This record gives sequence, C-alpha cells and structure tokens, in this order.
Amino acid sequence: MPWRCQGKQGWTMMFNNLIKLPQLIISVFLLVLIAVAWLLQMDMATLFNESLVKLVMNGVLVMSLIPMLNAGVGLNFGLPVGIIGGLLGMCLAVNFRMTGFYGFCMALLFSLAICAALGFIYGLILNRVKGREEIAGTFIGFSFIPFMNFFWTLVPFQNREMLYPIGGQGLRPKISLENYFNHILDNFCVIRLGDLEIPAGLLAFFALLGLFLYWYFHTKVGRAIIATGENEAFSKLSGINISRTRLTAVIISTVIAGVGICVYTQSYGFIQLYDEPLSMAFPAISAILIGGSTGKRAFVFEAVLGTYLLQSIYLLTVPVANQLLIPELTEILRSFITYGIILYALLVRETRRDCR
Amino acid sequence: MENILQISHLNKSYNGIPALKNVNLSVRAGEIHGLVGANGSGKTTLMNILFGQPVIHETGGYQGEIAFAGRRIEFKNCSQAISCGIGMVHQEFALIPDLTVAENIKLGREHTLAFTDRLLGRQFSYIDNRHDRASSLQALRKLGIELDPDIKIMDLSINLKQFVEIAREIDRTDLRLLILDEPTAVLSQDNSWMLLEILREMSGRGIGILFISHRLEEIQAVCDRVSVLRDGELVARYEKNHIHINQLARDMIGHSVIKAAAGKRKIEARPLITFRKFSVAMPGEEIKNLDLNVYEGEIIGLTSLPGHGKLALGYGMMGLYPVAGEVWFNNERIVRMDAMDNIVKGIYALPDDRQGLGILADQSLENNIVFTANQAKNMFSRSSLFPFLSMLDHRRTVPHVEKMVQDFDIKCASFKQKVRELSGGNQQKVCIARALTAEPRLLFVAEPTRGVDISAREKILSMLIEINRTRNMTIVFASSELDELQRVCDRIAVMVQGKIFKILSPDSPEVDFALALSGETGMDDDV
Repeated sequence: MPWRCQGKQGWTMMFNNLIKLPQLIISVFLLVLIAVAWLLQMDMATLFNESLVKLVMNGVLVMSLIPMLNAGVGLNFGLPVGIIGGLLGMCLAVNFRMTGFYGFCMALLFSLAICAALGFIYGLILNRVKGREEIAGTFIGFSFIPFMNFFWTLVPFQNREMLYPIGGQGLRPKISLENYFNHILDNFCVIRLGDLEIPAGLLAFFALLGLFLYWYFHTKVGRAIIATGENEAFSKLSGINISRTRLTAVIISTVIAGVGICVYTQSYGFIQLYDEPLSMAFPAISAILIGGSTGKRAFVFEAVLGTYLLQSIYLLTVPVANQLLIPELTEILRSFITYGIILYALLVRETRRDCR
Repeated sequence: MENILQISHLNKSYNGIPALKNVNLSVRAGEIHGLVGANGSGKTTLMNILFGQPVIHETGGYQGEIAFAGRRIEFKNCSQAISCGIGMVHQEFALIPDLTVAENIKLGREHTLAFTDRLLGRQFSYIDNRHDRASSLQALRKLGIELDPDIKIMDLSINLKQFVEIAREIDRTDLRLLILDEPTAVLSQDNSWMLLEILREMSGRGIGILFISHRLEEIQAVCDRVSVLRDGELVARYEKNHIHINQLARDMIGHSVIKAAAGKRKIEARPLITFRKFSVAMPGEEIKNLDLNVYEGEIIGLTSLPGHGKLALGYGMMGLYPVAGEVWFNNERIVRMDAMDNIVKGIYALPDDRQGLGILADQSLENNIVFTANQAKNMFSRSSLFPFLSMLDHRRTVPHVEKMVQDFDIKCASFKQKVRELSGGNQQKVCIARALTAEPRLLFVAEPTRGVDISAREKILSMLIEINRTRNMTIVFASSELDELQRVCDRIAVMVQGKIFKILSPDSPEVDFALALSGETGMDDDV
C-alpha cells in the first residue's frame, strides 16, 4: 500500500527533530568537562555513580512539568506550589516519627493528598489567567512562599528534631532525615560492578514514573489533554471540557512535583523549608528545555535527556572549577547555564511564532 | 511587453520529496498570469519561493534561477521581496489579529506627521492615524466594502479578513508584481467578480499579476495566459482565447472529472431539528431569530452573502458562541448547548476555518480521524475498567483509517504522517473523515470545498450525497457556492441578515437566488 511509512526517512526526520542547538552546545560543553576531569585524574566511576543519583533526584521534578506543558498551560513556573505540598507531606511523616520505607511511603501519601488539593486551587487560578499562565505561575509561587514561611514558624509540630533548638517554637530551615528515610531510595537494590554502583531501585522508581506518564498520555484523558494543548478551539468543537482538562493536568503536575521533592529530599538528606523552594523551578524548567522541548509539548524522553545533561554539568563543574579556577566560578556558571537556556527557549518560541 | 518575472529550471524538494520539478515560467508587466493545479501540485511552494518565505530557506533552499525585472534575485525573507515591489495575498491570512483593519492595511507604509519626520526621522516619526484610516477606507471602498477601519482583525469573519488582505496590497503604490494565492476561495461570487475587475484595472497600470485559483471560470475570464501545474511539473500553457475549462481540468488532474449530482426528490418526513427564534452571537456572522425546520434525511443548503449568518448555525450548536431561542432535536428540547452532549445525541458541526478549528496539525492522520469519535462516544477504545483511562485500540483504528484514506482518496505518505504536512484539500478530507467517524445523525458542514481543487471537490460532494443516501444522515450544508448547493441539496435556504429569507428549490432559476440573496422579494413560489 502506497501510504505505508518508509523506515529510513522516518529515522532521519527523527534525528533532525531530536538534536537541537542547545542540546548540541550543552553536550559539547559536557564532553569538554569530562575530558578535563579525566585529565585531572578524577575518579570517573564515582562521578558516574553520582550522576545517576542526580538524574533521578532532579528528574522527577522535571517530569512534573510535562502534563502542564502538554495541556498548553505552559512551563510551570509555579513549581513551588507542588514542592511545598511535598515538604508539608514529609514534615507530617517526620512529625509522626514514621521511619524507613514506611515513613517514605507515608510521606508520599500525605504529599499526594495535599498536592491534589493545592493543585486544584492552583489550576482554578490558572484557568482564570488563560494565556498568561507562566507569569501568573511565577507570582503564585513568589506569593505562596512568604505565606508558608509564616506557616512554618507557627505550625504546632511536636517532634523536637524539627523545631528550633532554642525556644522550641517553629520549624528549622533544614530538618535532617538521618533518623527517618535518608537515602532510602538511593540505597535500595544497589548493584555493584567493580567501582560502579548502579542505584537500581532508584532508577526503577524513575522508570515507573516515566512509564506512568507515557501510559497516561495514551489514555483517553491524556489524548484530550494533548489535543487541548495543541488546539483549544478544535478540542472544544469535539466536545472536550477545556477547563476541566486543564485542571486535571495542573493537578497531576502538582502531585508529581510533590513526589519529586520527596525523592529529591531523601537524596539530599535534609528537608529544606522557607525560601528554598523558590529557586527550584528554574533548573527544572531549564532541564526540560535542554532536553529539546520547545515549551509547547514535551516528552518523557526529553525530560530524562535534559536532566541528565544539565545535572552532569552541575556535577562536573564543581570539582573541575575547584581545581582549575576559583571555586566561586561554579555558582556563576550554573546560574548562567540555567537562566541562559530559559532565555534561549523563549527566544526560539518567539521566532517560531513569527514564522507563522 | 518585457518579462517582469522570469523563472527558469526551478527545482525544490522537502526532505527529499520533490515539490517542484524543472519549472519554467514568465510573467510580463501588465499581464494576468493564471496558475492552476490540484492540491499538492506545488502552487503554494512556488509562491513561497517567489515571496521569500523563510520556510523555503529553512528546508534547504531551491535550485534554479529567478529573475525579477531583469535582475537575478534570491530572497531570504519576505521583506526583501516586499522592498523589490512584490506583493502577496495569502491563502492563509497574513494579518495581525490584535491590530485594527487600518493598522494592518497601512503596516510598514504608515502616514506620518511631517513635523516629527524631520525631528525624529522616519523610523521614530509619529503615525498620522487619521490619514491612515482615510486611505485604508478608500482601499476598502475600491473593493466595494464598507468596513469600520477601527475594528480589530480578530473580530472579523473569514471573508472580511480576505478583503483586508487584498486591500493591503491594493493600497501599495510601489507594487510591480502581485501574487494572489486563491483570493476568491472564501469570497462569494459577486465579491469575486468585483475583485477580478480590480485586478484587470491594476494590470492595466502595468502591474504583473500571478493569479492562483481553483475557480476555473475566473481563470478563463480574466487571465491573459494560464499555466497548469501537476505534481510539481508545468504540464501545459495556454494563451487567452485558447483557455477552456474542461481542458484545464483535464490537465490539472490528468483525467476528466465527473461532476457529482444528487437525484431530485421531495422529502416529506418529520422534522429532525427545529429552530425557533434561534440566535447565535458570532461576531460578523450573527443569526437573529431564525426559524427553520430540517427534515429527517434531507440535505438542506444554507446560503447567504458573507456576514449574513450562514456559518454560525453549526458553531452555535456546538456551544462555541452564546445562543438564545429554542431548539428541538428529535422532539426533545435542547436546553443547554454543550458540545459533548450534542455530539452524543448525534449532532456534529464541521468548521469552515479548517486551519484554526478543523485539524490537530501536529498529530497524525490516524489521531485526527478517530479523535472526536473516541472522545465523545468512546469508539475505538480498548475495554478498560474506567472508560476515561482507556487506550486507543489500533487493531480497530488502523483498518478504519485505511478505509477512510482509500474512500476519500487522501494523499499521504502514511497514516502516521502529520496532518500539517498534507495539502489543504487533503486536510479538508481528513476533517470530513473525522466527522463521519463520529457517526452523527445530523451533520452541519460549512464551506467544505473552500480551497479545494476540482477533483477533490467532486469527491467531497459525492461523499456527502452518498452518506446522506446510505446512512440516512441529515446534512445542513452552508456554502457560498450556489452551484454546489444546487447539485447536492433538496432545498436551499437563503439567509439575509441572520434570518431565513426564503427557501427555494434547487431547480429555481439563478435570478430568484440572486434576488433572494440581496433581500428582494421576487415571485412567491416558496417550497
């Protein structure tokens, strides 16, 4: 039959679509860093092990952007909303002194419930500012954080490990997870091959989440979300309830963001409260853009690729810059990459709009 | 006369698929050169090359030589083409929706205040809005259109947008070559003839015109020469007085077409849908207090001049615009216009704005065709505990899509191909395939043959007749093509100012239709 796809052409098209300028620049930069690290005789195996942990640690937060992107709600600059839900969930688990896997799972469950509620409200607000969701999301995040700062200082938690040591009132900025679920996923089913340590449990968790998203966007609601993101009027003519579809996407994004911060925190070892969530949206957004998403549609693959590239660079710049340059340069490079990529993506999106 | 445009040995391909093969073409100053071809024959690609659209450059440029006014040119963007004196009227409009009519028409050529000109230079000069409004009003009047130049483009109906697009080019004084890509596709016949008059007058002033149209009678009437493109090759060229419509049609598709026509019959069934004092607030196409019965199993035509409401009925039924009044479907009153409810009840509307509302451009043919049926009626779903989480059953979609592709003769590389990559006519076929897949009892179609070549048009019309006869699907067919309505419909309702003015039989003489369209009461022979 004449309309069957020719395989070879499909592959070249995929290649053209997948490899884009920012990925190229970042990959070259990464290769240079690896070469330098190797020349400086750093422990490559350890760096590789760490890069895998970093991938999942940040990757879940990056994946949380996908549902909102696909629904046409845009890049989720309001990521702190979901993050705060997750933090609250973990605080609850720690407060009730739930430890180990039980503690982690309960933290996830609490986060799920809190984020679903927060996501619902967040989604309602975003539906009212259609077309300006990204800037509105930024400011929802900005205004939610001071409100929560207030909350953290007043919340009547009882566990002394969480409270300020002096005075015993209000939560500490950093709550150690040492006695609860520190590295619980990182150390689950680690496979050792010589110097290499593959955190199989962690990767499996990440893969499951990726599969969930892949499956979800092939279900009926998922396809409705994608269609709404691509052409709202079309979806409306096909009988889709636009507001409800967008709301669903925002809730799912927020819930995954809550899960994401739980995964991040168990790797990091401390629950970081107060102003910390503020700066977490940008590296995540940067990562998905490096992965090749244009900020209109995103795939799981893009999230994984982007996170790995960005986090590996973060990981390598620290030791390399420490040995070769002044240490302060690391932070500068990080910020430059993170914000520069977001700017680049916005530029690309604008030019595409012009072409039409 | 000198050649203002000379194209020699032009080749262009997209991703290795040739779109133009060795095209040689010339346009003389003061000539109207017609260009005809079926959908996907490469007309739009040729226009894009001539106007320096970035898409050409991005996809690897072209081979061959183009000379404009004796000088070799290779445009990298549209502004280079514009500064050379080339103008283009686009098939898909190139207007800025947030600006007003006057601002769009005068964009880049604004009148400025002489004082600030001297003070700040031309680039930073203060725009003289009064002058701009006046001269855009003049350009619109030339087209016979009375339109407030302060309205924003996004509030206009599609045919008025086309006028603004044309007015923008007419208003230019430095124009040497004007390219028109199907300018009459969205216009009514009267308006088209008016446009042709203007083109003739412009060519009299020495402007070369390259005119693309699917309406062959227009080509025959107005062109000095006509070239025929087929599958990217120039297959024929005719001088004036040797242009014959049948010959052109045969050249375009490589064989002759059989015109679709429905057998005449009289439908006296019960009404399937009844409108009472029905109003739709669609900007530029309002329906006000419409009363109409549509009988089960008939094809009823809706026609009107642009802006008189024929397009709004389907949109109103899908809840896209606010409505008022009563609607009875199948003896049951529809209280709330909810697209999902209505699709489930068996009502579906195909939009006239294909690009904007009709397709998911970045998704595959397959997804497009099954989308509505799957979402609204859960067809093609794998069984699942929760229907909203069910996946598509490709074992059922694939044969269905294959059948649709074959029945409608949709030209595509694969049914996984993105709809964006199909030509306009094939996109329209995908739209109709999607509507049929949802199996409605009552189908509203609006301008289904707009921008579609003759063979595809006849295919679409005969498909409409066939589904009406075999599946007993009632069709409300809104179109400005009277000839099509007369061939397909059982009754034709003429609308004036948002109301049904008269319902005529398709056999009524042309003059009755002309009278009714302009709102004049002729002899009383209502059907």
